[in-house]
Amino acid sequence: MEKYLDILSILILVSSFALMANKRIKSYINTFRIQAVLISIAAGIMGAQSYAIEKRLDIIIVCVLIVILKVYYIPKMLHKTYADIEYKVGKDFFFNIPVLIFACFALVVFSYYCISDIQGIDKGQLNIQIVNSVSVVMIGILFMISRKKAIGMIVGFLVIENGLFVTTLFATQGMPFIVDMGIFIDMITGIMIMGIMVFRINDKFDSIDINDMKSLKG
Amino acid sequence: MRYIEYFLFQGIVLVMLAPLVNGIIGKIKAFSQKRQGPPFLQLYYDLHKLFKKQIVVSDVSTWIFKVTPMIVFTTALCAGMIVPVVTSFIPENFPGDIIFTIYLLALGRFFMMAGALDTGSTFGGMGSSREALISSLAEPSLLISVITVALISGTTSVSGMMLKMQTENTPLLQPVYVMLFLAILLVILMDTSRIPVDDPSTHLELTMVHEAMILEYSGRNLALMELGAAIKQLLLITLVVNLFLPNQLFIGTTGVALVVISLVMYIIKVIFVAVIIGLIEVSSVKFRFFSVPNIAALSLILSFLGFMQYFILGR
Repeated sequence: MEKYLDILSILILVSSFALMANKRIKSYINTFRIQAVLISIAAGIMGAQSYAIEKRLDIIIVCVLIVILKVYYIPKMLHKTYADIEYKVGKDFFFNIPVLIFACFALVVFSYYCISDIQGIDKGQLNIQIVNSVSVVMIGILFMISRKKAIGMIVGFLVIENGLFVTTLFATQGMPFIVDMGIFIDMITGIMIMGIMVFRINDKFDSIDINDMKSLKG
Repeated sequence: MRYIEYFLFQGIVLVMLAPLVNGIIGKIKAFSQKRQGPPFLQLYYDLHKLFKKQIVVSDVSTWIFKVTPMIVFTTALCAGMIVPVVTSFIPENFPGDIIFTIYLLALGRFFMMAGALDTGSTFGGMGSSREALISSLAEPSLLISVITVALISGTTSVSGMMLKMQTENTPLLQPVYVMLFLAILLVILMDTSRIPVDDPSTHLELTMVHEAMILEYSGRNLALMELGAAIKQLLLITLVVNLFLPNQLFIGTTGVALVVISLVMYIIKVIFVAVIIGLIEVSSVKFRFFSVPNIAALSLILSFLGFMQYFILGR
């Protein structure tokens, strides 16, 4: 079972690399959906395990929530937002994609270097799942600051959230249920507010390029 | 005597099976467009027709143009002799080095580029300059992944590596190998001119890479070039399949029945990888030429991550 989770954590990391390599908004929303599917599989495996051992149902409920929210609802909403706003095709990132991917690799090496020193996580052997999911958080942050369009920032935020969720899942074998629910509700309200904000930004500036927001400075 | 059997078997399997992969990928593309598509054996018919036709050689071309098809075909076939398809039988004097295999293919590619430049047509020069860029981008990640596998298995002999990987059951469940598998899959897309990099079915001058290089050939020469490319593709797929996909029946050569069973297994796995490649072709568009480094960077980084994880995890 541990092996499958190792593989899933690797695949989640690879999917965030693929997210970084995408150019168009549509394609990275779809890649985000793939990542969410992988996370829901990981949560499903964990949930089945904890149900079989301790008769706990909460991780399975979390898994179902992920499928509903992250695989279905949020990508659909982002696609809808993207379709509604006026969009000019342009360069969406500050650096070239190869540079960004190499930066991602540096972040992964950095998190390997840091986490191998932490006591407690490390039971004589590096916990590869935690390292990979912390790297996903880092890549999410880089994704967020490297995109010019507001939807890219939302996706970056969601990737950070994915990474945090996977980290807690792998580190604690399932958080208390109330914590997970709180995170989900926070995320859903955050995404809704950000979706509305994107509309407003588009109304105000006729584009969702965040460079235009510099003109707000007094 | 065993050597002769081995090489004959190896050559026959490679030459007979190579055009089938193109047929499978073509069928998947056709199904995605709700067409019937050409039959599975279309490339065999094409090759049969081309072998009967006469050769037209431009009168400004030199000997390079004439020897290129032979060299491309021969290097592909020689490299194919080193990569065992289903048998674990190794000739004792020559274990077959993986780096040698890769650079045999590079020799063929070099002559392909030289031959395309030789006729002096603009398409040839354009195609070969693009091919030079793509191949130089693809080579590091292929070499790094292959060297990582060699470090894990402790040998650079191809059949030794395959045997070592097969004795550890289910290699695809090791985190390191997933990275390397994905990296080599991207390299296959780049090296065999598949869709995100190059469209194999177009003759539009702005987009073609491989087709631009073989534009001047005709008749038997064209058939040899096509067959060489198909063998190269099957060879790379064989490398992936025998290194990373589980195969308990790899230990052949001890009886006809076992060889046949492992051959069937091998064909199933090749079809599996061909279906993956076909699905990637269907679900993606051809990239702008200057976006090709993005794929190369992704592939390079995946192989690097595999390499690093091998050092950290030890496996």
